[in-house]
Order: sequence, then C-alpha cells, then structure tokens
Amino acid sequence: MSSNSKQRAGATYELERGYRRMIVPAIIAVAIFAIVPLAGMLALSFSDYHLIRGSNGEFGLRNFIKLVNDKRLVNSIYVMSVLSLFGVAAQVIIGTAVAVGLHKIVGRWRLGRVLFLVPYAVPHVAVALIWLSLFTPTLSPINAFFDLFGITVPSFLTSQNGAMFAIIVADTWTNFPFTMLIILAALQGISPDLDEAAALDGASRVKTFIFITLPLLLPALLMVTLFRFIDSLKHFPMIFVMTKGGPGRSTQATNFYAYVQTFQNSNVAYGAAIAVLLFLMAALISFYVAKLNQRISS
Amino acid sequence: MIDRSPEFRVKKGLGVTMMLLLLLFAAIPTLWALLLSVRAPDSIFEPIWESPLALTLDNFFKITRSDFPSALMNSFITAGSSTLLAMLVGVPAGFALAKSRVSGKFVASWILLLLRMAPPVGFVIPLFLAYVNAGLIDTYTGLIFAYMTLTLPLIVWSMWNSFAQVPDELIEAAIMDGASLAKAFLLVALPAARPGAVAAAILGFLVAWNDFFYALIITRSGTTTAPVAVMNFISYDSVDWASIAVASIALTLPILPLMAIANRYIVQSLSGAVKG
Repeated sequence: MSSNSKQRAGATYELERGYRRMIVPAIIAVAIFAIVPLAGMLALSFSDYHLIRGSNGEFGLRNFIKLVNDKRLVNSIYVMSVLSLFGVAAQVIIGTAVAVGLHKIVGRWRLGRVLFLVPYAVPHVAVALIWLSLFTPTLSPINAFFDLFGITVPSFLTSQNGAMFAIIVADTWTNFPFTMLIILAALQGISPDLDEAAALDGASRVKTFIFITLPLLLPALLMVTLFRFIDSLKHFPMIFVMTKGGPGRSTQATNFYAYVQTFQNSNVAYGAAIAVLLFLMAALISFYVAKLNQRISS
Repeated sequence: MIDRSPEFRVKKGLGVTMMLLLLLFAAIPTLWALLLSVRAPDSIFEPIWESPLALTLDNFFKITRSDFPSALMNSFITAGSSTLLAMLVGVPAGFALAKSRVSGKFVASWILLLLRMAPPVGFVIPLFLAYVNAGLIDTYTGLIFAYMTLTLPLIVWSMWNSFAQVPDELIEAAIMDGASLAKAFLLVALPAARPGAVAAAILGFLVAWNDFFYALIITRSGTTTAPVAVMNFISYDSVDWASIAVASIALTLPILPLMAIANRYIVQSLSGAVKG
C-alpha cells in the first residue's frame, strides 16, 4: 500500500468516525423516547399491573392467554379490518381518480390541486367533529336537503353498519388527498411519449390507462396502500369523537379497545398486551415496507 | 391528433362530471364548517334556506373568551419545541445516514419506519405511568418529550432522503479542500438540502399539531392542546356547534400555508426511497 492511499484510508476512517458522532445523539434520543417506552410496554404486558389496584408482582403469559380467548378482541380486529380495508380502498380509488383527472388538466387549473388538498390540512379531531355534525340528523344540511323532497335520510351513527360507514367516510375525506399527491407525482414522472405511442398503435384511452399507465403506477400505489393501511391501524380520534366505539361495541377497533382496557377499565397490563399485538403487526408491515424501499432505491 | 367523435365527448363529459362530484365531496364539509361558524346560535338547527340572514360574527368573539386561545398557544409551544429539538438531533443524523458507510442502514430504516407506524397506545401506556411517578403529567416538558416519538423518526427519515439527493461529490470536494466534516455539513450539505429541511420541519410540526391521543392522556387543564380543548364544547346535555366550527377553522388555518409550502416535499419525504 502506498503512503498516499494509507493516508487516504486514515482520512476515511476519521470521516466515518465523524459521521458516527453525528448519529449518536439521534440514537440516544430514539432510545430514550421510543425504545424505553416500548420496553416498558413489553414488560407491562407480562405483568398484572392494574391502574388502581397496582400489582402483586406476578409475571407470566396470563394476558396473552386471555387475548386468545377474548371475544371483544376478535370483534375489535374485525372492526379494524373493515375500517382499514374499505377506508384504504376508498382512499386509493378516489385519490387515484382525482390524480388522473388533475393530471389531464394540470397547468391549466393549479387551484384544483389546492382545493383537493384542503381536507388533508384539517386536523383529525376537527375532521371527526365536522362529520359528526354532518351525520347528526337534526343539524345536517344533507338531511335538510333530502327532506325537501320528502326523503328521510337514516341516522347513520345509531346503527352498526351506519356508524362504520360514517367513520370510513370521514377517514376517506381527510386522507384521499395523500393518495392523490403521491399518485399525481408518479403520473408526472411517466413520459407522455408512452401514451402517444400507444395511441398511435390504435389503443383506446381506457386500454392505454390499464395496460400502460397502471403498471407504471404500481410501485407508488403499493407504497401508498401500505402507508395508509398502517395509519388506519391507529384509528383513534374519529372513533373517540364520532361513536365512542358504539353503538354497543360495533366500532371498537383494536387500538381503541386497548385504550378502553387501559384507561377506562384500568386494566393496564392487558391493554399493554393488546398494544404488543398491534406493535407486532406494525413491525411485520414496516419490515416489508423497508424491504420494498430498499428494492426501489437500488 | 384531436378526437372529436361523439363517443369521446360523452367520455369527456363523464370525466368532468366525476371530477365535479369529487370536488363537491371535498368541498362540502369545509364550506359547511365555514357556514356553521357564522350561523346565529338560535337558528343553527334551521336549514340555511329558511333563515339565510341569521348570520353573525359573535361566535368568533365568543371563543376568544373561552379557554381555547390558551390551548392553541399550548399547541404552538409544544409542537414547535418538539420539532425544534427533533431537528437539532435529527438533521445531522439524517446527513450521516445518507453519506457515511456505516453498517446497519437497513435496520436503521426499518426502526425509523416502525416508530412511525407503531400504535401510539403502545408508547402512551408506559409514558403515562412514568410521568405519574416523575410528576410530568400536565407539563410542557412531558408533552414535548412525548411528541419526540412522533417528530424524530419522521425528521430523520425525511432528512436522510433529502441529503441522499445532494451529490456525494459536493461534500467530497469540500473535504478535499480541507473543510472539516462539520463545516462540510453546515456550509455545503445543509444549504443544498434546505428545501428538504424546511419540509421536514413542517411535517414534524404537522404531526405534533395534529396529535389528539397523547394530549388526551398526559395533559390536564393546564397544558391541554387545542385538539383536546375542542372537546370542551361538547357537554353532557348540549353541543356548542358554532364554537366547534370556529375552533376547527382556528385549528386548520395555521396548517394551510404550511401545507402549501410542503405539499411537493410530502411526496418525496414519505414515499421517496432512502438509499440503504
């Protein structure tokens, strides 16, 4: 090895040490603010801690055995799945439709993009409250409008499926612009030559969209779906504000159920066990997203 | 090639109709909230076409006499401070992750994603118990720390992305010229990634501003944030819809300009690939 390259190797080593020093504060911060609470959650999930009664110091798998036989948990997973699947599907479909529409008229109508973005800027509590007012029959302008024609709009929030529908609508309203933004960016990255070539070959617009555009959008669609899906596992403000999990337990999604067990039933240990379950789901999905991300970047 | 066949016109008409319907869906709740905010409380349950002139600005004055403005202030303080703290720690880390050859980058990207995706209920249970013992319930410090779990992963992730787009040669050249790593970072890389840094700060602020869950559990009346304070307009036997509408507008207004600045970067920093 020449002295020059030795010197360079030394410089690289110095540089790498410098980089590491820049990462250390973030590692410490993540450890304090995230890893320690998560370790606490895990420890609590094996304990018998109760908010009022405290703990007898017993550790074991009791909470997890209880999980397996808990009908309310099964119900909460069902609710979460319905809210996630229908909500994410609606957001992806509407967001993509708006993105495609805007893409066709882009440039000519900048304001359109801004108008469609507004719902995304409204904080979730406000979203939930605005939709609560729209789903309150005595107040809602939608009910008043249909009353003019003698049509009585049913009260959504008092029926099981209706309450689920109401939450999905509110969630879709505020989150479809996220899909729209990302699909719009992906569309703008696709060369217009491809569309033209397909048109010259005699392909119809619908065919061009399905066979040319859609496959090119797939990575973006997949990414958006995964991100939205994971966020939808965290459903809270809409349920808390609009239905409180009701009527009955019909909108009690798992995240909300963990809250109920912990802070309403004071059953901290059991709530932590439910949180661990949710966390494992997030870990699996985020691992997949990280892999996907790695593949896209290379 | 301009297509003017009747078939094409029908399809175009369908497309335009669909866009208008979607615009209606996007706009009606916002317009409704604006209308509610100026309705006279006595006529709030009447359809607008029955009493179109029952409008007032009193609702806006009324809310200034409630606890809501101080809750808005709390939101600004806590969301702002946690963003600032997370930027101080997160921006250098994002730079180092993008440019160094340290191993474990894949694990780092997984952990960052996981923290972004982990259900807050998992963080909040141990935080709540620790805060009760440490006397941090209903304090700014407690809430700012809690918001770090939201802001830090997001900021590191998006800065990693932004710095990855700064050419390596730029930093190498600066170091060849004898600049220290700190100088290369502050004087070369950071200015080049400035739009990304602005966007990261905005995104961090947005998630903390939006939070409802943490504030609900670890604050009381002293440091309650605006999203939780809105709920005070709902009492056991009545709902003050006009104040709720005004509060919703107050919660959204500060976000709109930020969103206008950040929207193009939201795409890059959330979906953009981090080089592992």
